[in-house]
Amino acid sequence: MKKILVAAIAVIGLTAPFLSQPRAQELPRRLGGENGPRRATEAKRAAPKLADGTVDLSGIWTGGGDAPIPRLLGKEKLDALMLPWAKQKMASLKEADDPYFYCMPGGPLRITGGFAWRLVQHPSEHAKYIFMLQEGNAHSFRQIFMDGRKHPDDPSPTWFGHSIGRWEGNTLVVDTVGLNDRFWLDSAGTPHTEQLHLIERYTRTDYNTLQRVVTIDDPGTFTKPFEVTYTAKLGEPNSEIIEYFCIENNQWGDRSNTDATAPSIPIAK
Amino acid sequence: MKPGVLVFGLALSALAVRVSAHHSWTAEYDAKKPVTVKGVVSKVEWTNPHTHFYVDVTDAAGKVTTWNFEMASTPALERGGWSRKTLPVGTPVIVEGFAGRSVAERAIVTSFKGADGKEFFVPKLGN
Repeated sequence: MKKILVAAIAVIGLTAPFLSQPRAQELPRRLGGENGPRRATEAKRAAPKLADGTVDLSGIWTGGGDAPIPRLLGKEKLDALMLPWAKQKMASLKEADDPYFYCMPGGPLRITGGFAWRLVQHPSEHAKYIFMLQEGNAHSFRQIFMDGRKHPDDPSPTWFGHSIGRWEGNTLVVDTVGLNDRFWLDSAGTPHTEQLHLIERYTRTDYNTLQRVVTIDDPGTFTKPFEVTYTAKLGEPNSEIIEYFCIENNQWGDRSNTDATAPSIPIAK
Repeated sequence: MKPGVLVFGLALSALAVRVSAHHSWTAEYDAKKPVTVKGVVSKVEWTNPHTHFYVDVTDAAGKVTTWNFEMASTPALERGGWSRKTLPVGTPVIVEGFAGRSVAERAIVTSFKGADGKEFFVPKLGN
């Protein structure tokens, strides 16, 4: 009994500092923390359902697309999947050339945990659309058609492509084509072509957790389709997306001006 | 050594700074050049992708050098309890960070203190 009591006190002691809300005036330096919304801390319970029988995925989420593919798969496994040109291209890339740093959209896969995003089912029941409103990096949105329409025959390639969704049980399946090849698929610069086809499976595995399993299919880049899994976490109940325009004052790429106060306007590559 | 600008030895603990989501800060800033600057806030850019706090440092001869210190985004700072008025122009501050690779005075913040030594929350750079 005494041991249990000591353990309980130890757990409370270790946890308590993380429960309080940070305030600039009172917090010491903290490096390496998360910058996105604070995560919901409610007890583990089942994902909520809507009256139409579908799962309610709406809310503020954080993360769900951070980790670079080589880290998720293992570099050797990714290398084995890539066609020679892709391997060559990836090896030649410099991190500083990532279009993301020039405030260009990161494409559908990249959702960084430092930003919030809101999923909206519209209407909330028997949704015809699902919107993903993204705070970062290009302060943009994804539009997923839920009304049963098909992809256009020959869509013009865009940064987020053409997305259609459907329910498979409790899982939202989003199918995306019509993507351009101007964004980096991930922060490691894993290459892709306009033949990229993504199938995302979103499952709210518990109240606070949204699992995202993505099949990446691009015969122009990879020898066969493969899967990566990400996890998004629910934000605190009162969290919101906040305005963030990356292009406003981006000083990336122009560090050579000896006048440290000079503004810079980087040009997207 | 210039008054007000002390370049310390390698701060090992500071090397634990994680790669950020918007930028890899090590491409722009030199982890081998930690700096400590005592000065006065001369301009606040409450902007994105990152905020910038300009700090004027006056040396013994009266020469003023303006440092451009980069901080995280406005959403990250707001979630950390900051507002655009947390450190207004004219506030004396002590800033620790790393010098820019191209221009030392284009630097990144790792610690922000008021003249009284009170620390302000510094989110990781990047978003």
